Amino acid sequence: MADDTKQPTPAAAPPKPPPGPPPPKNPGFVTCTVDGREVVVKAGTNVVEAAKSIGIEIPYYCYHKRLSIAANCRMCLVEMSNAPMGKLMPGCQMPVAEGITIQTATPRVKDQQRATLEFILLNHPVDCAICDQAGECKLQDYYMQYDLKPSRLDVPKVQKDKRVQLGPGVTLDEERCILCTRCVRFMREVAKQPQLGVAMRGSRSTISAFPGQPLDSKYAGNTVDICPVGALTSTDFRFRGRVWFMSSARSICTGCSRGCNTLLDYLKDTTYRYRPRENDAVNQEWMCDDGRRSYKYLNNDRLLVAREGRGAARRDLPASAAAAAAGATLKEHSAQGSLAALFSPLASVEDLLAAALVATEGLGLAEVFVGGRPDGWQDDFLKRADENPNRKGLELVAQAFGLLVRPFADLPRAIEAGRVKAVWAVGAEIPDAAAAESFGKLEAFVCQTYGQGPLTRQATVLLPAAPHSEMDGTFVNFEGRPQRFELAYWPREGSSPHWKLAAEVGKALGLAWRFQSAREVWKELGPRLGDALPGFVWDGLPSVSRRRGFLPIAAGTVDGRLPGYRERVPEDVSGDTRFDLLDVSR
Amino acid sequence: MPYQLPDSELNLRERLYFPEVIQGVGIIMKQFLRNFFFGRQKDPDVLARDRSLSQNATIAYPEERVPYPPAYRGLHRLVPREDGRPRCVACYMCATICPAQCIYIEAGEYPDDPIEKYPVKFVIDELRCVVCGFCVEACPKDAIRMDTGEHAPPSYTRAAQVWDEKRLLRGPPVSYQNDPWLRRGSPSISPEKLQEMRARAKPFPLNATDEYAQTPGFSVRALASEAKGK
Repeated sequence: MADDTKQPTPAAAPPKPPPGPPPPKNPGFVTCTVDGREVVVKAGTNVVEAAKSIGIEIPYYCYHKRLSIAANCRMCLVEMSNAPMGKLMPGCQMPVAEGITIQTATPRVKDQQRATLEFILLNHPVDCAICDQAGECKLQDYYMQYDLKPSRLDVPKVQKDKRVQLGPGVTLDEERCILCTRCVRFMREVAKQPQLGVAMRGSRSTISAFPGQPLDSKYAGNTVDICPVGALTSTDFRFRGRVWFMSSARSICTGCSRGCNTLLDYLKDTTYRYRPRENDAVNQEWMCDDGRRSYKYLNNDRLLVAREGRGAARRDLPASAAAAAAGATLKEHSAQGSLAALFSPLASVEDLLAAALVATEGLGLAEVFVGGRPDGWQDDFLKRADENPNRKGLELVAQAFGLLVRPFADLPRAIEAGRVKAVWAVGAEIPDAAAAESFGKLEAFVCQTYGQGPLTRQATVLLPAAPHSEMDGTFVNFEGRPQRFELAYWPREGSSPHWKLAAEVGKALGLAWRFQSAREVWKELGPRLGDALPGFVWDGLPSVSRRRGFLPIAAGTVDGRLPGYRERVPEDVSGDTRFDLLDVSR
Repeated sequence: MPYQLPDSELNLRERLYFPEVIQGVGIIMKQFLRNFFFGRQKDPDVLARDRSLSQNATIAYPEERVPYPPAYRGLHRLVPREDGRPRCVACYMCATICPAQCIYIEAGEYPDDPIEKYPVKFVIDELRCVVCGFCVEACPKDAIRMDTGEHAPPSYTRAAQVWDEKRLLRGPPVSYQNDPWLRRGSPSISPEKLQEMRARAKPFPLNATDEYAQTPGFSVRALASEAKGK
């Protein structure tokens, strides 16, 4: 019925336009009509994007806004009034023109969509049961939305290889592939390493890497993300979980100082994967494979209880008691002037603000050594050599508190020379693993750490810290761009964020500072940074103030799906204290 | 006030007293001996029992059991394939639909099978289970059924009510024509056996209840007919 009522619109357009283009309705823009609604877009915008801008969805597989146009999936065919001979035109390829009329839901278009889907699904194995893409698969979505017809194929489907290891991170299922060539175009145009191609012909066509050359690009993981079906799947994530159980938190990759925006997919208190989140200024919507795999320290080898003593004398104790013991030792050594602080650029700005506060006001230190992971590889696309997400933030904090930043290499030397007899480490990442030995000479070594490492064996007091998946916070990337990340799940077992541990140590030192949340840390200590982070609003993480408790966004949120229903706000945490402290009421 | 029964006139035999006593004892003895020696019947199907000797309708549970209707939702089982591996591909549909959240699955990968994915762990907490049967409905592979016709057996520990894949995997194997191991072959099935399985395989049932009624040899109904045959 709706279509009948819309029919008069193209008919009402003048059948014989006068010679010469009509004057634009909105000068500088192109005005056209999509499903009876007027759209004003920039010249050159394609029909898919123009329709999307007013909330009309045109389905597509092969189109990707950051890749070249292939127009090979034929899913986006729509009726356009300027089409030659009234043919259906691919919406992804056709730019809008002044005054044209576009119909996306006529019976003709719907028939075409159904036919296209039937054709695409002709040899598709429909093995959603074992497919990791199930739940975020465009074939599933569009079948339910546009097709809903059983297959009419009565001969056996074409069988292809179901397990092709294209490279270290990507597994290909040739049967599921719909040959949209997004991956091929990505590797050629964005990764600039054309390692993929389409081999064979007709129904035997497959995506393949060149013989003897694996898909070993550092950006190959993105092909998994942009694959609209389950053909390319991540070897790391393979069969580890179902995406509809998982929720996503808006997070930042800690793999390097680029700080790619990520969605951190988690279930209960386990992080399963990172997916890139769109941010044109930082990572567009890509990230490197090393970054993708860098989530593992959030799950594995975590330190969950505080410890005291070295070697055989080691014993577990409550975190508050350990912090009190740590505070007592540190105070003693700071009085003697034999104390040094080691800050990790893996900690967030909030962590470092609280730590710097304790270092200056509680321990009277004037300099701080900077740890962090050793440098890695670098390229001209995303990856930075500095594999620490917050080195810039550390420098800003140190500057704000008047702490002199010193390189890590000076610290083992000072320990060997006996000038430093006690160290307080906020984060146990050090660039030189061999230097861990010298920490054994320390009389007291208070170490706040996420997990076990070479350095933690030398600690006299170990405090379990919570990484960025378990706290709200900010990283400042190498350009000086502050980026907020949000808490995905509460800190595991006995661990708590660095800022909280630092505050505990400060309490043992007799400081009056108390913090309830990372937000409070920022509110109290953030102003000390002055205008180092111009324009930065801590509550500016979009929709953070609309978050009750932590309502998760679904793993498939980029496609507008509903949140996963398993991981709601935990029962025992009915009210979010952090939210109660929020004084903004947007 | 109880109503009055008119005393009827006793005849001579009744007035002699002993014949009546002996007759009464005889009736009691007859019922006693009947139920004592013939009361226990092997046929679990109460309705199909031979009533000529004993009228006893009491069911001595658990030695005797009432047969359940074919659609009765009993204890779960994981349906095996002919090669002993489960049909289950760890798609998590049952765990997703389960309103009691009593199903826990961990997926793994076969290196050598036409279906790569299989459940390394498949655990059902029978104490949490509300026996709704949604898992059976949701299963796209006919890999979980509730056709065992038995209850979860009682136990002294809670842990014994948590059934893992080793206990759940039982019953007769099932294959359908569209099963990948029949279409593609499987290294774990010999070629002759595969031929036989292909010949025997049925089309995937569109109406689940038909298939459940046909489940061979694993329901109480089937046990009853077996017992009848003996």
